[in-house]
Amino acid sequence: MLKVLLKKQLAEVFKSYFYDAKKNRMRSKGAVIAWFVFFAVILVVILGGMFTALSLSLCEGLTQAGVGWLYFLLMGGIAIILGAFGSVFNTYSGLYLAKDNDQLLSLPIPVRTVITARLVNVYLLGTLYSAMAMLPTLIVYWVTAGATAARVICGLLLFLIVSFVVLILSCLLGWVVAKISVRLKNKSFITVLAALVFIAAYYFFYFKANRMIRDMLQNAAVYGVRIKGAAYVLCLFGRIGEGDWLCAVLFTVVTAALFLLIWIGITRSFLKLATAGGSTGKIRYTEKAVREKTPFRALLGKELTRFASSPNYMLNCGLGVLIIPICGVLLLIKGGEALSALNAVFAAMPDAAAVLLCTALCMIASMNNMAAPSVSLEGKSLWIPQSLPVEPGTVLRAKGAMQLILSGVPMVFASVCGAIVLDASPAARLLCVLLPLAFSFFYAGCCTALGVRMPLLSWTNELAPIKQSGAVVIVLFGDWILCIAMAGLYLLGGHQIGTVPYMLIWTVLFAALGTLLLRWLDTRGARIFQAL
Amino acid sequence: MLIIDHLTKTFGEKKAVDDLSLHILPGEIFGFIGHNGAGKSTTLKCAVGILQFDEGSVLINGTSITEDPVKCKRELAYIPDNPDLYDFMSGIKYLNFIGDIFAIPADVRQERIRRYADVFELTEDLAQPISAYSHGMKQKLALISAWLHEPKLILMDEPFVGLDPKASHLLKEMMRAHCDSGGAIFFSTHVLEVAEKLCDKVAIIKQGRLVKAGTMEEVKGDDSLEEVFLELEAE
Repeated sequence: MLKVLLKKQLAEVFKSYFYDAKKNRMRSKGAVIAWFVFFAVILVVILGGMFTALSLSLCEGLTQAGVGWLYFLLMGGIAIILGAFGSVFNTYSGLYLAKDNDQLLSLPIPVRTVITARLVNVYLLGTLYSAMAMLPTLIVYWVTAGATAARVICGLLLFLIVSFVVLILSCLLGWVVAKISVRLKNKSFITVLAALVFIAAYYFFYFKANRMIRDMLQNAAVYGVRIKGAAYVLCLFGRIGEGDWLCAVLFTVVTAALFLLIWIGITRSFLKLATAGGSTGKIRYTEKAVREKTPFRALLGKELTRFASSPNYMLNCGLGVLIIPICGVLLLIKGGEALSALNAVFAAMPDAAAVLLCTALCMIASMNNMAAPSVSLEGKSLWIPQSLPVEPGTVLRAKGAMQLILSGVPMVFASVCGAIVLDASPAARLLCVLLPLAFSFFYAGCCTALGVRMPLLSWTNELAPIKQSGAVVIVLFGDWILCIAMAGLYLLGGHQIGTVPYMLIWTVLFAALGTLLLRWLDTRGARIFQAL
Repeated sequence: MLIIDHLTKTFGEKKAVDDLSLHILPGEIFGFIGHNGAGKSTTLKCAVGILQFDEGSVLINGTSITEDPVKCKRELAYIPDNPDLYDFMSGIKYLNFIGDIFAIPADVRQERIRRYADVFELTEDLAQPISAYSHGMKQKLALISAWLHEPKLILMDEPFVGLDPKASHLLKEMMRAHCDSGGAIFFSTHVLEVAEKLCDKVAIIKQGRLVKAGTMEEVKGDDSLEEVFLELEAE
């Protein structure tokens, strides 16, 4: 039974790799391999490379200082945070909100088996995240300090322990989120708020990491003694990686016991939480005056309501709504100094900071890609817009407009802040506002177009279209590549035509491409949408 | 009101609807029966403009659904077999959304919502999120939304599924009243007793092809509709 459920679970996770929703048929072998290679490149080359660099910067210094355990403690801690952070909301939505919960619970399958199948899914995702940090950690250590049998076996055991600690934390946090969600009225916003606090803490440490690492390497012995004195258990955790059998056995037993406790807790509370209708009480209906809206505004309102109703949607596709204005404020506080420094570095290219500022703002704009999964999120309700008397192009425009509003308004604020502190000509300052806006317009069109070209309509967990759909991955990485190209071309030779003409070209290009995409949505995009 | 002329729809190799022709006149309740997978839902979806078809035509009040779908859709309402509505909205928000799409004036809209929600005893639950609704409540909300803009033509796929006996009875009354005032209804059902009592005309479809159609008397003669249906299925 468990095998069948696991197959179903994994088939759902990797569905888009094997199945082409657009053509309604299985992908060819070559296409499947290409998708997996693409996925592996992102994981291994980009993210794995980042952690390999971090491991290389830490490993030698710490092992030479005789505190190799501190290296494993730091990297293990990063792996745990990365894994738990990456899969906490997956636990909540995958375990408690899966649309097939009712169906599976009605079948003669023990609840424990359903939970185990779901947890294997959470475990695999958490392990995937933590592996990106743990594997480089182990390999770099084995290369630097030597790979004895004890180090290799204990190192692998450490990886296993880390992966289970991630699972325990994910389950615990997922359970807390589920428990809170049952009782809250505005649960979407509160869940998002909690996640944002988590993200803020994450980025706080991320930005401080460089200084902390330098400090740690310079005073490795001192920190080692301090941690040993204050929390000896952390030292024991780190020693596993160094090949300490006793610590390895001790932590394996403790982790297994903790996992058992969590598993019992989840098994006992699962039915209640998964089938809870909420205990917030019935909302009493009172008739209120109605404000009539045009069909477009009604559709836009529907899109905004959909966006605000799902923490997963807001967190994964709309963080920019908050981050962009925060960047604006940061620009006002620290931007003048930073931009002047950039101008000084690129003194040969007058107003280079203006181009780099625009590049940064456009990259941040990629955090808002809510239009990309929007068509997919229609799911089984697709019959509604298809049967209503509205042009399909209007439906798609509403999706694009949602993103444009949620990105454009914060972008106006941030770019005006940037223009205020930027030491450049008035024309360059004006373009600092116009270019990111033109980009936001183009990006909204791009996300909507890819959303309708690559829909994923049959899902049981909304995370599938939000996180795993091809459209979302392409717009996210496509944006980064485009932004890097914009800055790179300028630095490589674009500056020779002058900063203002260069920025003007990109502004016009984005505006023109955005207009073309809008036209495409009204014509071909509309036909594709109606035929879905 | 609705003319389906030589409609053919294929999915890959399979002909889901094969050269089907039906005429539904104003004032008629037209029942559409057939076994599972016979092509009823596909026909309804083609008629509404959700599915594109390979051959034939669909005219709604003389307008082709392929040439001017928006004009056609303004005059009709459709309820699918499974009312997957916007779970993230409340009932009242959904009705107002539909009201906005059909440009129903606020005062008219409120009066109709009040009237139909009272009929289906859903008024108390209108502020609740649709995700908290039972299947029957969703079906009632879908029915209210269909009647909200007072369409000339209503197409429904298994509209009685999930409704309690009282709501079923009310729906039958509403269907009759709608047709008495010049509207038309085209609906699929497996409940042959309901079709027999309620419909003015009936069509039986088998493997995508129309096997019998006409007034109830023409189709069933002295037998019951169930006997005729089973006989045709056995052939």
